[in-house]
Amino acid sequence: MIDLGHLALVVALGFALAGVLFLALGVRWQRRDLIRNGYYAVYAFFLGTLVASAVLLVAFLKKDFSFAYVAENSDASLSVFYRISGFWAGQQGSFLLWLLLLAIATVVIALRDLSRLERLTGAAVMVLCGVSAVFAALTVFDEGSNPFIAAAPGTTPFGLNPLLLHPGMVLHPPALFIGYVGLTVPFAFALAALFIGRADRLWVTLSQKWAVFGWLFLSLGIGLGAWWAYVVLSFGGFWAWDPVENTSLVPWLTATALLHAMTLYRTRGIFKRWALATAALTFFFVILATWTTRTGLISSVHAFGRNEVLIDILSTLLIGSALLSAGLLAWRWRLFASGAPIESVVSREFLYYLTDLMLVLFAAAIAFATVLVPLLLERTVGPETYDTFARPLGVVFLALIAVCPLLAWRKTEGAHLRRVLTLPLVTAALSVPLWLALGFQSDPWGFIGLVVCGFAFGAVLQFVLNAARRAAGPGKAWTAGLRRALLGSRTRSAAYLAHVGMVLIVAGLLGSTVYKAESTALVATKPGSEDAVLTTDDGKYAVEFVGWRTESGAQQSQRTYADFDVFTDGGSTYVGTVDPHTDIYEVSGAAVRAVILGRPFEDVFVVADEPFDSSSEAIALRVVVFPLIRWVWIGSILLCVGAVVSLWPPMRPQEALADDAAAELAARGRASEASA
Amino acid sequence: MNKKARTRLIVATGVIVVAFVVGVVYLVSQQGAYYKQVSELVSGEWDGKNVEVGGRVLDGTISRDDKGVTFTIQDLSGASDTVDVAYSGQMPNTFEAGVDVVVIGEYSAAEGRIAADELQTKCPSKYEGQGTTPTAPAAVQ
Repeated sequence: MIDLGHLALVVALGFALAGVLFLALGVRWQRRDLIRNGYYAVYAFFLGTLVASAVLLVAFLKKDFSFAYVAENSDASLSVFYRISGFWAGQQGSFLLWLLLLAIATVVIALRDLSRLERLTGAAVMVLCGVSAVFAALTVFDEGSNPFIAAAPGTTPFGLNPLLLHPGMVLHPPALFIGYVGLTVPFAFALAALFIGRADRLWVTLSQKWAVFGWLFLSLGIGLGAWWAYVVLSFGGFWAWDPVENTSLVPWLTATALLHAMTLYRTRGIFKRWALATAALTFFFVILATWTTRTGLISSVHAFGRNEVLIDILSTLLIGSALLSAGLLAWRWRLFASGAPIESVVSREFLYYLTDLMLVLFAAAIAFATVLVPLLLERTVGPETYDTFARPLGVVFLALIAVCPLLAWRKTEGAHLRRVLTLPLVTAALSVPLWLALGFQSDPWGFIGLVVCGFAFGAVLQFVLNAARRAAGPGKAWTAGLRRALLGSRTRSAAYLAHVGMVLIVAGLLGSTVYKAESTALVATKPGSEDAVLTTDDGKYAVEFVGWRTESGAQQSQRTYADFDVFTDGGSTYVGTVDPHTDIYEVSGAAVRAVILGRPFEDVFVVADEPFDSSSEAIALRVVVFPLIRWVWIGSILLCVGAVVSLWPPMRPQEALADDAAAELAARGRASEASA
Repeated sequence: MNKKARTRLIVATGVIVVAFVVGVVYLVSQQGAYYKQVSELVSGEWDGKNVEVGGRVLDGTISRDDKGVTFTIQDLSGASDTVDVAYSGQMPNTFEAGVDVVVIGEYSAAEGRIAADELQTKCPSKYEGQGTTPTAPAAVQ
């Protein structure tokens, strides 16, 4: 079976290369028969990766520890759910999953185009085949990336690391990879448009949904990782500015810029070079993320050991794709000129421009500090540095998110500006007492940021109100148009949701990081004694040890709970019981689990610093209070729901196409009007 | 094309980009730590400086009191040099004797000790590389 898997990978590599060749010639000579042959090669490539993946999956399901990779990432005691997740628990399987997802995206695009054999799509599939070939080559030629290697005789299965035994961690890697692959598609179409010199909207129309889809899964992946870090890693936070976290955030930022540029490209014929450049940049950063994680050149808590073949292949892909994109963009620079220049700095276009510019700069700054500083200067940058520039930038983004949709296209008159800014200013003022009541005045910058959140909330309301007024028509009350404003246009409803989500996320991030309060103590495990109580440094909470419980936990582990009663108001009011615990796994070791007590405006996070059992005389207890942290999770959900709403297929496809055509006409009209 | 708007656009872009680059470069040069091996610390050159050092936690050196935890780490590149570490922040979940950690903090040559502000253990997905044959980790006792 190991040989079958390996053979399937070699076959996949061969057909991916054949696809590149057929499609390159077919696109160059405008020969549809060659493009069709290229698509047939894609099907064979897809089947090869499918067989390889199936072999590995079956090996995990059948507990076939003759596969070195299976023995390293699972053991016989694991449930089916966690055995499946062993597939992507290590480097080899991760690359195979990447390859499988790439193959799925490529084959879907090729299948849909088989009746048209369009040159642009042919060129895009060629790019996808090229990227796939690199990943296939990695699994074939690099021993550290090949999941089909036999285990040494007498190998004991290693088991999955107990920290990874959590649904968040099972879903986090595939979500990230789906995101990365989704964002590879707009890159492929952007390169294709540049190759064949087609500056109309077709490449955006064909790849925008993939971009939203990729962005959605990347958001989910980052969110799941943060949630897992918060509840499982128990370091008292959810984001540590670790290199691997950073390099997944960087493409998310440029992908956000890409989504906005694509919308403007499609509907107004502007931001064309931005759309191409951010598509290319996003792919570059996706590969940079893989490069950083897998080559081990950047010291990281995540990094694997060094590996020369891998470094060569990934570095070539990284530099090659950057040079190719930059060269093509320079070659076609004039062809992709914007249909209408920006006329005023008080216009929606200009704020879109600022948003995209800042997103790209933010991404570049994080990439610089994460990758170039350690590599070139042999220095590392800590969380406080990232926080110093990320916090003010977060507030600036929030202000841009708030004001941008309220401005008019092209130019905004002063009177209009005053009218639309009134409601946001009122909600900003109204939010002040709320923040004061929650005790957030201690940090002036955090407080300002939160007031801006209040402003942004009002701005989203005003955005809805404007749309309702327009929908109601002149002379009618805005309430008459509310229904249509909310349900009329899906992309607009999606934007409301996503923007409210972002406001909540930034408010939650500010609240939970700037105002986080942490207390530690060695707590004696003698119920009733004075030493059995931890009182938080601000005196708000008292946490008292009341007893032990032990039981068999998941994956045949032995679980010891330490129960603590939590009191507030100087120890007088009981608010709940928490049971931080230690899991001891048969094969893979011990893990401490944090427990979170949710309060209306804050989380009380309780964790032991070291594994304990019921014979421990004291527990090194840590209590962290995270204000507003739930807003981050709620906001993330809204953000993702927004993306889903905009992705939902239209009820009547003809109608959507007609809409699209109308937008194209309108964009042309504006462009000719502007050039006149 | 509107010349005035175009000029404003270019000026605004220039100001933002320059301010941003200057700000980030300044922050990075002011903060952060030098990445060093344990064996490189002995020269004394790094006394009083912020360093980031990777090392393996030596068995039997971990002691905990009210102020936090102290332990000793050994060079990862094969040298026998060691350095003491004092740390009082959040303990990573996987911390124990024998694991590889990265500590960041000010190094004092006189005390032979790093006052760590940050302590990270190598992440779970990385068991490979520290010995390729999977065996039960030392943690199961």
